Amino acid sequence: MNLRLVTVLGALMGCVLPAPAAAQSAAAPGGVKPVPRAADGKPDLSGVWITGALQLLIGEAEARAILQADAAAGRHVPPPREPPPYKPEAEAKRQEYIARRGIDDPMARCLISGVPRITTRPLPFQIVQMQGQVILLYEAHHAFRIVPTDGRPHPDDIEPSYLGDSVGHWEGDTLVVDVTGFNEKTWLAGVGTIHSDKLRVTERYTRDTYDTVVYDVTMEDPEVFTKPWHTQEIFRLRPNERLREYECIENNEDLLRFEKLLEREDLFRK
Amino acid sequence: MKTTDIVAILAAALLSAPSISAHHSFAAEYDGERPVTISGTVAKIEWSNPHIHFYVDAKGDSGAVTQWKFEGYPPNMLIRQGWKRDETLKLGDAVTVFAWRSRLDPNLGAAREITFADGHKMTVGPPAGTGGQ
Repeated sequence: MNLRLVTVLGALMGCVLPAPAAAQSAAAPGGVKPVPRAADGKPDLSGVWITGALQLLIGEAEARAILQADAAAGRHVPPPREPPPYKPEAEAKRQEYIARRGIDDPMARCLISGVPRITTRPLPFQIVQMQGQVILLYEAHHAFRIVPTDGRPHPDDIEPSYLGDSVGHWEGDTLVVDVTGFNEKTWLAGVGTIHSDKLRVTERYTRDTYDTVVYDVTMEDPEVFTKPWHTQEIFRLRPNERLREYECIENNEDLLRFEKLLEREDLFRK
Repeated sequence: MKTTDIVAILAAALLSAPSISAHHSFAAEYDGERPVTISGTVAKIEWSNPHIHFYVDAKGDSGAVTQWKFEGYPPNMLIRQGWKRDETLKLGDAVTVFAWRSRLDPNLGAAREITFADGHKMTVGPPAGTGGQ
């Protein structure tokens, strides 16, 4: 494999490519820290992590260095993300949102992102793993998710919400989180990636190395999809990082500009 | 795996890469095909979310001053890229700003990079994106 080529192209892409767990484990050189374990023997996911478009958060040089380290470790490049497998009507809506240049994005209005999008925002998040529950804290929107892992089911009085309701369990060394009870107000992963309140998301968190978590996501929604939509990201541990305050609505001038732009189709559409 | 296969895979990944906008679609407000470079003096800084804004007084050939407004990353992202509030960018600094023009406002831009008087450069905002991915 031409690793330099992979690195250069990866840097040009401006994104960090997920890598298969097996490849990462096999490539780990001697002397690396082992995956930490909780008291119950499960991998401990606790820590501050970043993922998604790393160069936006930590700068292009450091993001490129991470890619180069991936290449040096021989991590494989997985297939690119597939487009959402939408039914024709949903795909037509997505295309319209794209044609409108993403101006309708709920995120641009400072509304809380849903799952999995909130995870891939270019802001850190923290996982706090405890006996019987895992807490997810997101810098974006000051959002949190509490994921019971003590075997309890979803509550029977769920109100549709942006982040849905989460319950988790362990399958070997992988934390599997079932998320349901969503409203219809978020986009899943990119412009126009709509969904219905029938959405069900299955997240799989696997700490494959000390420094990384493989984050597999399966989105199912019989209202909009012809089949489940699968994505994968890699979390990067940030040992010296802390979550900071991010109050999105503080000075969101975009709202006013969007209104003006939508009144000026000649400017907006050209 | 052959090199050509890798190229094909990465090219496909590039085309299907999700929008990397920090907060909103770049293309909703800005025109990635209309870059602009403005030199002048920093007149005002808004260190705020979801974007910082800074204003630059630029003197034209006739001597008339035009004030440009630029949008950049939010503070949390700049801090993590090495910025320091009240130190990295200060009122009165002589700067050259590379940006892309707003679709709406003739003196508004999405700033990408600032070049300071001593020649050093700092990234201040995201690259132009299509917003359509």
